[in-house]
Amino acid sequence: MTFPAIPARNSGRRYQSLFQRAWQALWVLPLPVWLLLFFAVPLGLLVAISFWSVVNYRLTPDATLSAWRYVLGLDFLWASFWRSYGLSLSSAVAISLLAFPASYAMAFVATPRQRLILLGFAIAPFFTSYLVRIYSWQVFLAEGGVISSIVQAFGGNGESLLNTYFALFIGHATLALPVVLILQTIALANVDRTEISAAANLGARPGAILFRVILPAARPGLTLGLLFAFLLSYAEFVSAAYLGGGTFQTLPILVTDLVRAGQQWPRAAVVSLLMIASLLVTAFVTVLWAYREKG
Amino acid sequence: MTNAHLKLDGLAKSYGRFVAVEEFSLDISEGEFIAIMGPSGCGKTTTLRMLAGLETANRGQITLAGTRIDQLPVWERETPLVWQSLALFPFMTVRENVEFGLKMRGVSRAERRRRADDWLERLGISSYADRNVARLSGGQRQRVALARSLVLEPKVLLLDEPLSALDAHMAIKMQGELKKLQRELGITFVYVTHSHSEAFSLADRVVIMNAGRVEQIGSPQDIFLRPRSKFVAQFVGGISLLEGRVSDKEDGKRFLDTPDGKVRLAHGAGLAKGATADLAVRADRISVTVEPGWGENEIACTLISEEFAGAVVNLHLETASGHSLVAQLQQRDLEQLDASIGARVYASWHPDDGFLLESTRQSGSSPRVRAA
Repeated sequence: MTFPAIPARNSGRRYQSLFQRAWQALWVLPLPVWLLLFFAVPLGLLVAISFWSVVNYRLTPDATLSAWRYVLGLDFLWASFWRSYGLSLSSAVAISLLAFPASYAMAFVATPRQRLILLGFAIAPFFTSYLVRIYSWQVFLAEGGVISSIVQAFGGNGESLLNTYFALFIGHATLALPVVLILQTIALANVDRTEISAAANLGARPGAILFRVILPAARPGLTLGLLFAFLLSYAEFVSAAYLGGGTFQTLPILVTDLVRAGQQWPRAAVVSLLMIASLLVTAFVTVLWAYREKG
Repeated sequence: MTNAHLKLDGLAKSYGRFVAVEEFSLDISEGEFIAIMGPSGCGKTTTLRMLAGLETANRGQITLAGTRIDQLPVWERETPLVWQSLALFPFMTVRENVEFGLKMRGVSRAERRRRADDWLERLGISSYADRNVARLSGGQRQRVALARSLVLEPKVLLLDEPLSALDAHMAIKMQGELKKLQRELGITFVYVTHSHSEAFSLADRVVIMNAGRVEQIGSPQDIFLRPRSKFVAQFVGGISLLEGRVSDKEDGKRFLDTPDGKVRLAHGAGLAKGATADLAVRADRISVTVEPGWGENEIACTLISEEFAGAVVNLHLETASGHSLVAQLQQRDLEQLDASIGARVYASWHPDDGFLLESTRQSGSSPRVRAA
């Protein structure tokens, strides 16, 4: 009995390549599906809705620019925009600075095992709902709350800290600090230790090593931390509403106001699109800067 | 060459109970090329790091040009190191890398640039000055690492296996350049390597380390021809060792009783009768014949394998008691030797070609943990 050796081997090879392709497809296919489902479709819908109109409190498909005209004509729109942008940017910078010493300690002082445990603690706040955490901050910040009672005990005024930028910042930090800690720690822990020793060997003192070697080497990760803190704070609604008390009309507050006042979904969609556009530009510029290479 | 320029005096380093370096003392003259070699974990890199100040010695002193430096922090020492991984800064251009040390010393911008460009020119990499170091080839990166250290005009340059990242061809080319550079500059090189060819072809003196201890310090010839310990003999390679007991004098000649028979020792081998000793014979001094009776010291062996190494061939032999011998033959001698693998052959050598090892310390798994 003779076997047709070559055709058999060929079909085996064909089967193998088919299998390999199927295997690859298994991993690649979800990507466009997710992108479509969670990015393209909602964005398309948002764009479409921005051209619809509201008739008798009902969203009606249309092709009108009235929502765009209305929103862009609001005299407080750009004030809200820059307030949102400025508040979240300063929150992001402050959160990054606050997180840095802790990240530095986790990356350079803690052993790898200790680092894992500490990062675990950093993530622990995620175990409770963000809303619950914000409500508990109210207990701390309100008049007669924990902080105000302590201040009063020392003879101070002890007025409510709610509806201040400080309260809003606390909210932003509650949301973003764990993420920033993780990103910064990973970035710092991945700095090549030999480069640090080499810098010292070339005469760099600890301060120079930090500013001339560690920070530049960890720049991509540190910048991503800053960017995430910004993105999270920028789109943040809960603490803007419950801790800032709407005192600071940020864009997310504007969105809810527009929806509440007569189901103005198209106008809210326009504000959302403005936010998305500004976020994309910010993220793009930041990432370009973070990964820029010399030479 | 009498007064030591760089003096290492009784350096010791341990991590907990692990002894990394035990009593390292060495006087290095100005402009000397010292190679420290040994197997992985022998303490050679730890010694280099103590010189650079990256490790603090538990005991001992380091003096450079008459000044004690072992208590200075890293950044105040003038002992730049060329790293095995090069450790170039990837977020800087080639020129910025080279200028780094000068910048740390507060050298003005113009002066920095002039000196960096000088060295880039000298090492033939000035056309890459504004490139990112990640975009360079291995050899070019190697030169950047050298320039970054040499621009500081140090009296001592430390090198930690600097050529191990290069391919064989490039490594040999760089060996030549390093040697030339060292001669021209007249600065002291302390070069850590595990490569025999690098150590023996570059260095004025070679330090062989094992398990934290210095086994031998000497010129490459010294170490190659006269290894002092069993470890060095095995590490250098190409040496056959025979263990035995010194026997009675007969007609004024000394003999060693080995499990494979009695062999004659060279004159002047001053050992007491009954002492155990290791006899070493270099591979190129051993003759191999198929018939016995050709030499004074002759041991019957089995031919185990032939290993071709260019113009010469190494024959691996095994004695009746299971000892390994190695004999190096010219190709034409091998053609005349009519023996196939597994055949019985006779290894012989002149008594004067054998030498006794000074130290019979066991190599290999010596205890490295000192009792606390």
